[in-house]
Amino acid sequence: MSLLRYESQVRPPLVKGNKEYHQVTEDICRPVESKPSRAWWIGFSISLAFLLFGVVSVTMEVIYGVGQWNLNKTIGWGWDITNFVWWIGIGHAGTLISAILLLFRQGWRTGVNRAAEAMTIFAVMCAGQFPIFHMGRVWDIFFSLPYPNTRGPLWVNFNSPLLWDVFAISTYFTVSLLFWYSGLLPDLASLRDRAKKKWRKLFYGITAFGWTGSTKHWQRHESLSLVLAGLSTPLVLSVHTIVSFDFATSVIPGWHTTIFPPYFVAGAIFSGFAMVQTLLVITRKVLGLEQYITIEHIEVMNKVIILTGSIVGIAYLTELFMSWYGANQYESFAFMENRLNLNSPYGWSYWIMMGCNVLSPQIFWSSKMRRNITITFFMSILVNIGMWFERFVIIVTSVYRDYLPSSWSTYYTPSIWEIGFYLGTFGLFFTCYFLFTKYFPVVALAEIKHILKRSGDGYKNKMNEIEKQGSDDFVKEHSHDHGA
Amino acid sequence: MSIREKFEITKKYSLLSYVLMTIGVLSVLLLYINYGSSEDEHDRSRFWASLLQNSVFFLLVVNAAMFFICTTILAWGGWATSFRRIPEAISSAVPVIGIICGAILLAIVFGGDHAIYHWTDTEHVKHDPILLHKSGFLNKTFFTVWTVLTIFLWWVLGKKIRSLSHSTDIGPMGVEVGKKFIWKNTIWAALFMIVFSLTVMSTIPWLWLMSIDAHWYSTMYSWYTFASTFVSGMALIALYVVYLKNKGYLEYTNQEHLHDLGKFMFGFSVFWTYLWFSQYMLIWYSNQPEETIYFQPRVNGVYKIVFFFSLIINFLGPLLLLMKRDAKRNYMTITLLAVLIIFGHWLDFFQMVHPGPSRDHVPMILYDLGIAAGFVGLIMFLTGRTLSKHALVPKYHPFFKESVIHHT
Repeated sequence: MSLLRYESQVRPPLVKGNKEYHQVTEDICRPVESKPSRAWWIGFSISLAFLLFGVVSVTMEVIYGVGQWNLNKTIGWGWDITNFVWWIGIGHAGTLISAILLLFRQGWRTGVNRAAEAMTIFAVMCAGQFPIFHMGRVWDIFFSLPYPNTRGPLWVNFNSPLLWDVFAISTYFTVSLLFWYSGLLPDLASLRDRAKKKWRKLFYGITAFGWTGSTKHWQRHESLSLVLAGLSTPLVLSVHTIVSFDFATSVIPGWHTTIFPPYFVAGAIFSGFAMVQTLLVITRKVLGLEQYITIEHIEVMNKVIILTGSIVGIAYLTELFMSWYGANQYESFAFMENRLNLNSPYGWSYWIMMGCNVLSPQIFWSSKMRRNITITFFMSILVNIGMWFERFVIIVTSVYRDYLPSSWSTYYTPSIWEIGFYLGTFGLFFTCYFLFTKYFPVVALAEIKHILKRSGDGYKNKMNEIEKQGSDDFVKEHSHDHGA
Repeated sequence: MSIREKFEITKKYSLLSYVLMTIGVLSVLLLYINYGSSEDEHDRSRFWASLLQNSVFFLLVVNAAMFFICTTILAWGGWATSFRRIPEAISSAVPVIGIICGAILLAIVFGGDHAIYHWTDTEHVKHDPILLHKSGFLNKTFFTVWTVLTIFLWWVLGKKIRSLSHSTDIGPMGVEVGKKFIWKNTIWAALFMIVFSLTVMSTIPWLWLMSIDAHWYSTMYSWYTFASTFVSGMALIALYVVYLKNKGYLEYTNQEHLHDLGKFMFGFSVFWTYLWFSQYMLIWYSNQPEETIYFQPRVNGVYKIVFFFSLIINFLGPLLLLMKRDAKRNYMTITLLAVLIIFGHWLDFFQMVHPGPSRDHVPMILYDLGIAAGFVGLIMFLTGRTLSKHALVPKYHPFFKESVIHHT
């Protein structure tokens, strides 16, 4: 019998509990088909409350203007843009997992891709709020779109990275949504076929777009996934690259540095994975999906975290080194005085960033730590904090002391409406996530089935005999011609 | 079908490597006679710059093969197992080329000429406030210590990882032993990776290359250099796969593996361009004289053709020719593109090194090509020798079976 795939027994299984196809369907559909638990209602209500607080905060800002925030002439970008970049960064892991890991043929992505993609979409939604409301006159939002208009010569500035952001983010959002939704189709059809109530049949019937599971459907589905993966991969890089251009094209010391694009992308993936960990560590526990989102998945994601954290670390050190090496006094002041010096007004924020993003992830060199759920959860929060501070450090510590000491800003603390806006996006994010866990399968049902007969533990046990075979016998029996 | 155990160096192969090495030595001699022995410091620098460009480029390329192995180990990649002896053999050239490169670098630093590394001129540095400021980093002692240490660590760690791999040839290992074996590999690969990130990904390109334009700096520089040499390393591995397949070796490496190597060549060519663009665009956009000065001779000066030609070869070539699936599974296109990529990045190194000492005219590139041929011959010689010493297929490696059944 020739094999189409073979997986070494050295690799741990990715689906545990000796599952059959039917069991997989049952396990993954259960949370969608049963009534939400008390915990779900509590969580959902809290999220909704945060969202409402956000709505109030934004309303205050829209009615009374950006003056409701504590930004000033020197610190024109504060929490708003920090939060924007932070959420956008988080929105990177989903597409990385779904697209790049698909291209790299990583089997473990199947356990986590659905939730990560959903998270991406919600994070990008949250991110978008900040530049929109930072405009102040939000009703003029359509000014940011380039179209032949009646405003005479008033066009968007094509030279500005802020405009490139509009294009990059809206494209990214669209493609991520398509990717997520097209992946959902077979699963929605499963839910439709299992539905007993009329409205469920109707809802999943409409959303499944008439999926029948025919070979033709699968064929097109697979090619679509590959095309979308091919499109999304450069998109993942482009979005945060362009966000980094918002800063790096300028001549502000601390912003203008050539390493920004790849380092922002690495940082985005870093924070995105941290958020995936935060969500999945809880989700797998609450929904009882430990056999699909296994400790192996958690460990692999922790490896990604230490890798990207260290890449970010090298970039931090490179920047720091160049601020000295470059022999530019302004650049050097931005780093040595405004950041590195713990006693300077914002020095503490630089060290929080260093501690959370570079130092603390190093504990993941130890496999014991990588496989410890509590540590993982704690670390994921720490990384999220660290990555928020990274953006805060880049933005605020670079601008609060500009070239003219008379305009050096007083200490900037956000107003209640700035904080409310930020908390509101948490509300939006988690409200969406709670609804998602209730109405959609959190784990990609069809994709788990793809890897079941390769990486499932029951299947792997059957392969023990083949593992013991000598190499020559193995080749004779199981390999097949690929063409030279 | 039985496994053909070892690579036998053919007469043609060794003849070619000797011929190339002879061309290399002759080019060095010729260049020395015409320039290196000149009374004029500027002429002498032309000789040394050429040696610098070639030795550093090829050292980083052969070392990139070890980087590939270590990433594969750390990522638990199984697909490359069937041909992993090739990158191992390529990386075995690190010690010899490392010694040559180290000797050239130290000769330039201590040779008494300052046309390449201005910062070695201690008298001049005293009156140059910027170089004086940098002298904590750009000084002969640190340069020497760090260069020697770096080459030594690449050598030792590479050797250890190769010997671990050869230890699988003894006989089959069970699952438990296999796990331990992977674990051991992981530790050494991680060590290599730390050293790699502290050298290739940061300090080494600053010291060896960026300090030629000692006043100038760019934080991207090292990652850019890394991308350049890594994609060339992948191209070199692909070339060897094609060669050995044509000679009837590597029974278990097939189009699927070649396809994936092609993807690496394609993907990292685009990645290189991404870094190229990011560096260039940010400097162009903000338009600060202290930064744009680097691109003056390259974009507005005499190096214009070399500069844009290398961009075309390294970006448009792979992008257009390797995009299709069939192209990545075709021996001919992979060979063509691999040669193109290695040449293109070599040319990129040419424009990274030469405008420093020779700003106003492009040196005659034939000498440099001759020396490059010498290094190619040397790599062929060293790689062939290592390939012939050990089994070509690590058939007891825990991931070997995965690699046989690999589908891209």
